[in-house]
Amino acid sequence: MPTDSPIVQLSGVSKHFSGTRALEGVDFSCRSGTIHGILGENGAGKSTLIKILSGVLQPDAGTVEVAGKTVRFSNPEQAVASGIVCIFQELSLVPDLSVADNISIAAPPRTRFGLIDKRVQNRRAEELLARIKCEDVDPNSLVRELSLSRRQMVEIAKALGKDPKVLILDEATSALTSRDVETVYGLLAELRTAGVASLFISHRMHEIDKLCDMLSVFRNGQHIETFAKGAHSEGEIVKLMIGREVTAHYPPKPEPVPKPAYLTIDKLAWEGQLKGIDLSIGKGEIVGLGGLDGQGQKELLLGLFGVLRGLQGKVAILDHPCRPGSPAEAKSDAMRIALVPEDRKTEGLMLAMSIADNLLAASYDRVSDGPFINQDKARTAVSEGIAKLQIKVASPDDIVSTLSGGNQQKVVIAKWLMTDPDVILLNDPTRGIDVGTKQEIYKLIRELADRGKTILLYSSDYAELIGCCDRVAVMYDGEIVAKLSGDAITEEAIVAASLNVGTQSSLQAAGARHG
Amino acid sequence: MAFHIPSLKAEDKPMVIASAFILVILSIGTVYTLSTQGSAPLLSPGYLLQQLQTGSFLGIVAAGMMVVILLGHIDLSVAWTMTAAAMMATTVGGEWAIPTGIAVGAAVGLVNGFGVAYLRVPSMIFTLGVDSVLRGLMVAHTGGFAPQDSATPLMRTLASDRFLGIPSAIFVWLAVSVVIAVMLKRTAFGREIYVTGNREVAAYLSGIRTRRVILGSFVVSGICAALAGVMLAGYSARAYQGMGNPFLLPAIAAVVIGGTRILGGQGRYIGTLIGVILIVLLNSVLSIMQMPEAGRQVIYGSVIISMLLVYGRGNKVHS
Repeated sequence: MPTDSPIVQLSGVSKHFSGTRALEGVDFSCRSGTIHGILGENGAGKSTLIKILSGVLQPDAGTVEVAGKTVRFSNPEQAVASGIVCIFQELSLVPDLSVADNISIAAPPRTRFGLIDKRVQNRRAEELLARIKCEDVDPNSLVRELSLSRRQMVEIAKALGKDPKVLILDEATSALTSRDVETVYGLLAELRTAGVASLFISHRMHEIDKLCDMLSVFRNGQHIETFAKGAHSEGEIVKLMIGREVTAHYPPKPEPVPKPAYLTIDKLAWEGQLKGIDLSIGKGEIVGLGGLDGQGQKELLLGLFGVLRGLQGKVAILDHPCRPGSPAEAKSDAMRIALVPEDRKTEGLMLAMSIADNLLAASYDRVSDGPFINQDKARTAVSEGIAKLQIKVASPDDIVSTLSGGNQQKVVIAKWLMTDPDVILLNDPTRGIDVGTKQEIYKLIRELADRGKTILLYSSDYAELIGCCDRVAVMYDGEIVAKLSGDAITEEAIVAASLNVGTQSSLQAAGARHG
Repeated sequence: MAFHIPSLKAEDKPMVIASAFILVILSIGTVYTLSTQGSAPLLSPGYLLQQLQTGSFLGIVAAGMMVVILLGHIDLSVAWTMTAAAMMATTVGGEWAIPTGIAVGAAVGLVNGFGVAYLRVPSMIFTLGVDSVLRGLMVAHTGGFAPQDSATPLMRTLASDRFLGIPSAIFVWLAVSVVIAVMLKRTAFGREIYVTGNREVAAYLSGIRTRRVILGSFVVSGICAALAGVMLAGYSARAYQGMGNPFLLPAIAAVVIGGTRILGGQGRYIGTLIGVILIVLLNSVLSIMQMPEAGRQVIYGSVIISMLLVYGRGNKVHS
C-alpha cells in the first residue's frame, strides 16, 4: 500500500569528518511499500547516509523527517523506536550468547519478577526464524556455532523482531547462500506488501535489478538521481555512478613497453577470500588493483607480505620462490618487499611516538652497529627520509600525531623507502589525504617505478588507477575478473568489471552510446 | 640526545610530581622526628644510604618489571622468581651459586615469554600461573621447611658489604640501571620494545619480530628478579619461603608512579628510579612514625591510587 507522503525524508543533510565531506546537501526520500536500492562507488556516502538514518551518526546540517515528523536521533535505540531498523554489514551478534538471546537482546521479554522470560523469548525467536524459513536453527544454540550465512539470517530475524517500518539492508546478502538469498527476496516482497520501506544497498547489480522498485545513485557525498527501475540502462547507471569530476594531475606515463615479469603470482588462494590469483608484475611497472572494497585486494597484499597463514599457490621473484612467513622475512634482503598498510593510524604508525622513531621502525638493523643504534646513522637516515618525501616537520622529535594526514602518510611511505625495497605494495595510500599530497605521492610512485621498483597499488579511487597505473587488475569476489592495460583502462571498464556485469566490450559499447 | 621518546611535556609530569612528593614525604617525616625526638635522621646521609641499600632490591625488580610493562604486559611471577632463584643459588652454593640463580630467572622469563608471545595467553594469567607453579616447586624442594643452606660469601658481599663507604648493593642497582637505561634508549631491541608497546600491529607490519621482543623482555624481567632474589638472600644470609612476596606490588607501583604507561609504549627509566625512591622513603617514614601495619597498608595503597589518578588526568595523549 504505497502512500504519497514519504516515510523517510532527508533535506539538505551534510556530514563532514575532519575536513573531508562524506555527505553534502543530500535530499533523499523513500516511500512505504517500496524496495529502494542505493548505488554508489566506494566512498560515495552510502554508509554515512545509513548511519545517519539509523541514529549512529548525527548530521552536521539538514533535517531528517520520519512519517512527516522531524526527528533527531542521538542513538540507534531512538531510530528503532521510530521504526527504522538497520542490518549492518558487520555482524552485530554476540557469538557467546544463544540465538534467542541475541534476537531479543535489546528488549528481552520479562517475567513478573523482572527476570528474562526464557520461554517467551524462545517462542519469539522460533516465530521470527520461521518467517525467514530458518526453522532448522535452534534458538538455544550459540551464535558462534552457526555458519556465516545462518548468522546473517539470525541478524535479519533480529531486525524483524524490532517491527520495522523502514528496514535498511547494508550488503546484508553478501554472506548468504543462494537459498537464503531467495528467502530474503521473498521476505522483502512480503514486507513490501505489508507497507514496509526497504532500503537495499548492494554491490551486486543483478540483485538490485531484480529486487528494487526505485534506485538512487550517490556519488562523492551527493545524491545524484532517483529513478524508477528500468528508467536507465546498466551502462547509464554506471555513468551516473562515475560522473565527471575535476581530476588530479598525474605524472605522464611512459610508453607501454612489455616488461619481463619480476614478481609472479601463480594460483594464490586463501580461505575462500582469494580464489586463485594469477598476476605478474614487471620491474619498473605499476600495476593497479581495482574493484569494490573487500573483494580480496587487501588479502592479496597481506598474503604477499607474509601476514596470512595457510596461503596456497606460488609466488616468485624472478625464479626464486618468495613466500615470506612474516613481514620481517618479507623485508629481508632476500625478498625486499614493503607494504604501506591500509589504515595508517592503526597499522602504519605509532601515533604517540616521535616522527624519528616512526621512520626508523622498519630499519633498526640498517642503522645499528651490533645491538647498538648508531646515532649518526640514525640521524642521517631520518633526515634523508624527511627530505626525500618533503615531509613538513618542525623537528623529527615531534610526536607523529601532530602532523596532518598527508604528512603522516608520507612518514609511513618514507619508513618503507628507508629499507630500500624492490617490491612495493601500496594499500590505498592516498585515502583521506589532501589533493596536493596525493599528487606528490603519484609523482613519487612513478619515480620509484622509473628507478626499477615493482609496484602493486590498490586504490579505491578509479581515477587514480587510470592516472597512475600501467596495468590494472580488477578483483571481484576473490578473483581477478579483468586485466586492463593501456587505453583499455577506462572508468567504464573498471566499474563494469568491479560490478562483474557484462563483458568489457559490451560495456565499452554502452559507454560509447551514452558518452 | 636526538632520539629519546618523551619530547612530550606531559610525559615528564609524573616525574616532577613524584619528585615533589618525595620532598613532601621527607619534610613530613623530618617535622615529625624533630617534634618527637628532636633529631632529623631522615636527612642524614648514613640513614638515606641504608634506605637505598634496602631499596636496591626493589629497584632491580622494578627495572625488569618496567621493560615488561612498556610492552603493555605485566610479570606477576617476580615474587617466586626471586625466591626460586635465591633458593637454587643457596642450594648449589660455591662459585656457581649466582650463575645458577640468574639461570633460574632466565628460564622463568623464557617460559613466561613463550606463553605470552607464542601461546598468546594474557600475561596477567600466565605469569600468575607460573608464580604458583614456582611456589609449589619450591615447597616441594624444601619439603616445606626453611632451607638450611646459607648464602655464599660473594652473595653476602654484593648485598651487605660497603665499598668506599657506600653499600655495594647500591652499586649493583646502579649497574643494572645503566644497562637497562642504555638498552631502552640506545639499542634496536630497546626501541623495538617501545614500538611494539605502542602498537603491536604496526610494529609487526613494520617487520619487527614482535614475538621475539616480547620473549626477550620477559627474560630481562626474569633475570632482574633473580638477581634481586640472590642479593636478598645474601642480605638475609639465607633464602626463605615467601621472601619475594613483599616485592611484587611495590615493583609495579614504582614503575607506574614513575610515569610508565600501564598500557605500554611510554615511560622513561629515570621515572622508575624516582618511583622506587618514593616508595622506599614512604615506607621508612611510615615506620619511623610507628604507624601500625594496618594503617601503613591503607596509606601506602591510597598514595599509589591517588598518584595514578593525578597522572591519568593529564596523560590522555592517546586516541
